[in-house]
Amino acid sequence: MSTVVERISQEIISGNVEESVKAVEEALQHEIPPHEILDNGLMAAMERVGSLFQEGEIFIPDVFFSAKAMHGSMDILRPLLAPSKLMQMGTAVIGTVLGDIHDIGKRLVAMMLEGAGFTVIDLGVEVSPEAFVRAVEVHQPHIVAMSTLLTTTMPNMGASVEALLKAGMRDRVKVLIGGAPVTRAFAEEIGADGYGSNALTGVEEAKALFESLKGEAGGIR
Amino acid sequence: MRVNVGKTTHFRVLSKDQIEKILGATLEILERVGVMVSDEEALKLLEDGGARVEGQSLVRIPSGMVQRALQTAPHRIVLAQREGRRNLVLEKNRIYFGTGSDCPNVIDPYTDERRPCLFDDVLRAATVTDALEHVDFLMSLGLVSDVPRLTYDRHQFLAMAMGTKKPLIITCVDRNGLSDQYEMACLIVGGEKRFQENPYFALYAEPSSPLTHSKEALEKLTFAAERGIPVVYTPCPSGGATAPVTMAGILAQGLAETLSGLVISQLKSQGAPFIMGGVHTIMDMRTSIFCYGAPELSLLSACMTDISKELELPVFSTAGCGDAKVLDEQAAAEASVSLLTAGLSGANLIHDVGYLESGLLGSLDMLVLSDEVISMVKRILRGIRVDEETLALDVIANVGPGGHFIGEEHTRRHLKEEHWLPKLMDRTNREIWEKGGAKTLDRRVRERVKAILEGHEPDPLDERLLGELKTIVALADERYGEK
Repeated sequence: MSTVVERISQEIISGNVEESVKAVEEALQHEIPPHEILDNGLMAAMERVGSLFQEGEIFIPDVFFSAKAMHGSMDILRPLLAPSKLMQMGTAVIGTVLGDIHDIGKRLVAMMLEGAGFTVIDLGVEVSPEAFVRAVEVHQPHIVAMSTLLTTTMPNMGASVEALLKAGMRDRVKVLIGGAPVTRAFAEEIGADGYGSNALTGVEEAKALFESLKGEAGGIR
Repeated sequence: MRVNVGKTTHFRVLSKDQIEKILGATLEILERVGVMVSDEEALKLLEDGGARVEGQSLVRIPSGMVQRALQTAPHRIVLAQREGRRNLVLEKNRIYFGTGSDCPNVIDPYTDERRPCLFDDVLRAATVTDALEHVDFLMSLGLVSDVPRLTYDRHQFLAMAMGTKKPLIITCVDRNGLSDQYEMACLIVGGEKRFQENPYFALYAEPSSPLTHSKEALEKLTFAAERGIPVVYTPCPSGGATAPVTMAGILAQGLAETLSGLVISQLKSQGAPFIMGGVHTIMDMRTSIFCYGAPELSLLSACMTDISKELELPVFSTAGCGDAKVLDEQAAAEASVSLLTAGLSGANLIHDVGYLESGLLGSLDMLVLSDEVISMVKRILRGIRVDEETLALDVIANVGPGGHFIGEEHTRRHLKEEHWLPKLMDRTNREIWEKGGAKTLDRRVRERVKAILEGHEPDPLDERLLGELKTIVALADERYGEK
């Protein structure tokens, strides 16, 4: 039976979307508990994908397909998982800030966040401060991630943080920013919680921020 | 010294047949997939011109429109110096090198610290450009950060115009930023008519890959078209991320982005000067960076240059840049490979000389080293002269077996045109090199940077004119600059 779970892992690592979904269904037929499939199948696979990527054995498109396979498998598991288990996984909204239509960096981060087990709501590009606020209201995320490639639109990151503050939502979420011209100093300047110099470090930062949010007074909603 | 047309060494990557296939794919992309056009005026121009608009902003452009635009666009464009000298003649195989623009960081040549670029850094980049023999035009190199963010472009223009009289390629925040810089340029050259006769700058604007024209880019494009300001409309697709992973696919898509821009510019104003090209490269699939040191960048730039010759449009290319963090061996290799390739391809405006750290660092060191490399490249491009005089049969006969050529008048006569003379490359023997401090290239480069900054005095702008320019900048700060 554990071989089915191993196969799930293998299919996800190989980025075979359909095969991994099939294997998850098979595991459920064998009555393997969903949380076990999640931990030993999905999460174990993504951890391995992460280290393979860092070792330079696989590349961004490979990670993309693994994340997609993970996502497909998660769609089947999610309704079956206990709420307490789901609570352990983070939710993130992500968008490119107002005035900027650059998409690719943000998409990469979104993809890698999903790979790390986050539920990701991608708000797209040219996301206004108000739209970030609305998204926090609707999706109740743990992480708000913002991206920009343009120096001229960097101030809109600050404006978005400001808007969250005004809406009284600032302490409910961790704000993570990134994009080529963005620096840690700038993140501090505008009162963001974290910064990623690339997609990978961004995701590491998101994980750490999520953990710290869990540890904070009141914990996770 | 400019490399001459006609007798130069060059190469091509694409065959005529390959170019036709790529062009065919480009036209098919425009007809079948279309481009996003996020500007009312551009949409209306396209629709009135025969394009099919779907939904809010998806535009499919029939091939005939592209062909018409190619017929009305000028085949040659001239850029002029501050005082009007027309010294960049963008015609087939005439090559010019220049910096790139808007890097957020610099390395301070005196403290060696990497820090955000300031007004004075752009002034320094302009001064160094002014002094270098083989750097023909200036883009800002750095992004001025010690001024209001939304009016940085006017400040940057001022620093550039103060530091050199060489032709400029500018960037701008938006249409207002372009309008202000145009006003400043017209003041400098003596009016709009003068500017149009001898354009002092070209505008750099970018579509966004894949296949998207932002409102800002289009506003800049149409503003420039209306006033006869030459536009460099340059997509930056990264293979595997914002374009196909295949070289041919990147070219077909990038060209679709460029040519849809050309159609809009020609619909706005027939004959509007338009420069094609761009930065076509790969996304590094380990780090996700937009790669400036990739061999694919040079290969794709050479391909675009091949295509530009077929389309008879001036072309904007890329070289002298890299992903290295400082002027190290990697930087030197990246500069050399890209500059030689771009030179051999015969591209017109070869920009981004001085870029390090994948475009995040504008480096005076890289710029000065590249000047030397360009000089070597030009020697190769000049090829060799083969005739009675250079075959030197009489001289060989005169010297005869066992003699020497040092004492021949022929040697003295031809020395300077035949031998390339280094300024930075060291050819001393080890003993002399050690006595001189055993300086490696990076140290010699830095010394040259400092020598230029301390010794070179660019022709200053007239005091009253400078005052008027500063007034325009101050007004813009008041109107648009956030604190």
